[in-house]
Formats: sequence, C-alpha cells, structure tokens
Amino acid sequence: MKILFAGDEHPYSAFALQEVIRLALNTWADVTLLAVSPAPAVRELPGYGALAPDQPLPRVFNHYRETFLKAAGEEESPYAPEKWQYEWVPLKTGVWEEMLVKRGLKKDLKVRLRAGNAVQEILAEAHNEESDLIVLGCTGGGQCLWQGATPVPQRVVNDAGCSVLLVKEEQSINRILACLDQSYISQDSLEMVNQMATLHGAQLELIGLSAEGGMKKDVYRRLIEIGDYYEDRQIKVSTRLTEIAEFESFIDQELKQDLLALWMGKKSLLDRFFPRDWAGRFVSKCQTSVLVMR
Amino acid sequence: MKDQLKILVLDDEPIVCKRLKPALEKLGYEVDTFIQSVEAMHQIHQTSYDIVITDLKMKEIDGMRFLEEVKKQRPQTEVIVITGFATMETAKQSFRKGVFDFIAKPFKLSEIQEVVNRAAAKIKGAAA
Repeated sequence: MKILFAGDEHPYSAFALQEVIRLALNTWADVTLLAVSPAPAVRELPGYGALAPDQPLPRVFNHYRETFLKAAGEEESPYAPEKWQYEWVPLKTGVWEEMLVKRGLKKDLKVRLRAGNAVQEILAEAHNEESDLIVLGCTGGGQCLWQGATPVPQRVVNDAGCSVLLVKEEQSINRILACLDQSYISQDSLEMVNQMATLHGAQLELIGLSAEGGMKKDVYRRLIEIGDYYEDRQIKVSTRLTEIAEFESFIDQELKQDLLALWMGKKSLLDRFFPRDWAGRFVSKCQTSVLVMR
Repeated sequence: MKDQLKILVLDDEPIVCKRLKPALEKLGYEVDTFIQSVEAMHQIHQTSYDIVITDLKMKEIDGMRFLEEVKKQRPQTEVIVITGFATMETAKQSFRKGVFDFIAKPFKLSEIQEVVNRAAAKIKGAAA
C-alpha cells in the first residue's frame, strides 16, 4: 500500500499524521509526507537553490519525520534507516544525480515539499506516486478548513483518482458506516475497509441508500454480497437501509465516534440527488472522519 | 544459476491469483498459483521455489505457518507476505520470520512487480 500524507503546520495535520503512523506500522506502507506551500512562501537561499532553514513548513516536516520514525522504533521496523550508500537518483526525466542516501531497511519514508496550488500539487503527487490512499486533516465540526480555506479537502476528495481519508480530529473509531448506493464496488475499496476495520477494531455497518423506499435489484444484491464478504472474513457487520433524501441529516446527527465511508462511482444515486460536488458537501457536513473510496 | 526464477503464489481469493500470474509471467518468471493452502503446502515439498508470495489469513493452514514451512524446506527462498488484515503483530512476526517484504492490500500490480524484481535481484546477486 502506498500512502500519501498531505499536511501543513496546523494541529489537524498532526492528528492526521498519527492516523498515518498507525496505518503504516500495521501495513508497512510506503509513505510520502507531502508539504505544500503557496509558491511565494517558499524561499530559496540566494544562488544555492536550497531552502532557507528558518522556514516553518520544512521545520514542521522534519518534526513529522522524526515523530514517524520514533513511533516506528529501531527494532523490527521496516523504516529503520539502513547503511549509507551511493545511488543514482532521478531529479527529473532524463536527469540523474549520484547521491549518498540512507534508505529504510525495507520501506521508505519520503518527505517532499511542493510549491504551488495545494489541490493540484496533492493530486499530482498522488498520481505520480500511484498512491492507494491520500490522508489529510482538516478542522473538525462542520467547517472542514485547510490552511484557512474551505475547498482544499473537498476538492481533493472530489477529484482524487484514489481513496481519500479525511481526518477531522483525534478520535477513536468504533464503527465504520459504509454507504452503498451503486453496484460497482472495486476490490481495492473492499480491502481498504478491511484494513481500517482491522486497525480500529471497528464494527462495520453497511448502509444501503434507497430512493422512495425502493432500491435497485443489483444494488441490493451487491449489498448482500458485501455483507457476506465481510462475514466470511470475521468482520462484525450489520446492514440497514436509509432514504437518500434523509442522508444529509443522517450524517449530521448520527455520526459520533464513527468513520463515514462513501463509495464514489459513476453510477452513484447520490449524483442524481445532489450537485456534482456532493462528496465535498457531505465531507463538510460530517462531524467525524471520512473515507472516500474508489 | 538458472535464468527463469520460479514463483509460487498462494491466496484464497482467486482474483488475486488471477491478477498476479500474468503480471509476473510478463516479467519472465515461471508462476504457479494456489487458492488452497493444503495443496500449496504439498507443492513446496515437491518443487523448489525461488520466491513465495503468500496471503496470511486463510482457511486450513494460515500464511504464517506456511511461511515457516517454506523457510524450513528451503531457507534461501524469499517470502513476500500479502495481507488484507494487517496488524502490527503480524507485521512484526513476519519480520522475525525473515520475510523479504510485507505488502498490505490494496496494492497496485506495479508495487508487487517491483518487490518481486528486488527479491530476484537479491537471489541472483547471492548466486553470482
């Protein structure tokens, strides 16, 4: 599994980092910690090209790296630094430089800084790295802000090509509420739920979204199949139906120590009921963390 | 040292074997797949594999026992564990038992291809 953590210097990013650490230590994921700075905020040392050492974002990410490696420990850690060695490292297409590097014993922890538009840079990094999961934090409650601006988490959730975990605050997760409104479900998304349920020891509740009391046969069949899939794997699972028209108030009122998991797909019933950016809207509405699956 | 390395894939989810076999054969490896751990256990006593890729959570024989048996039969075999239910305990146990790598699902084919290529390079390097 490849995890991309997109963060900044705010407390919600520190919470999200803790979730990344827990997930990484369980799964031995390849992890990239990505800082995104608005272009003018990144200063280079004149004539040298290196970042100025007094900048807050690189300092925070040094601290994140140390926090990660400390949590991973030295013994039996796939991230424990191995010996120094020279390697040809690609700088850009067609350009390599031989550098002295110290890699993790079995897995790498990369720390990167990109300057520019946060959404575009996060999505580009996830695409280039073939990430399976993007993790980012945002303010809790009903606001969902990132660096003081609303659209970053919502747009990442809407436009990412992979699953996205949005961590709203530090909280335990007792239940995963996975909402299904279509029959196409990827194997990757089923496995992502497996890992999250295992990580938190959480129960799984499958919510079938119905319209005017009815549900498409293929969606209903899929709901049963998914329930069987998890039962076969000894994950506690229950199933219920909820009217799609009441879904927004359901998210607002019912979710407490839960993870809301939404399947994104082209045939989503939610697409017909809500505007194009419904995922971003629900993400904002939800008081707890959200996993958007693809 | 023979050129074509032999790989055994064991996962009780047929879709995993179906995806991995062509992806690894395309890289030039000889691949046998099994969805029954008992059959795979029988097979490792018959044939020497350079690389074994095994799931952990399976009915009958679990992946950890299979890993132990593979290492007992042929210590130089590189074992790659794949799991849909990763815990820190299973990761650490795998580490102690000398796995080459531990990969949690979901993973992209390119990820497992890269890990297999690294394992192959290690095997060939050791034999050179």
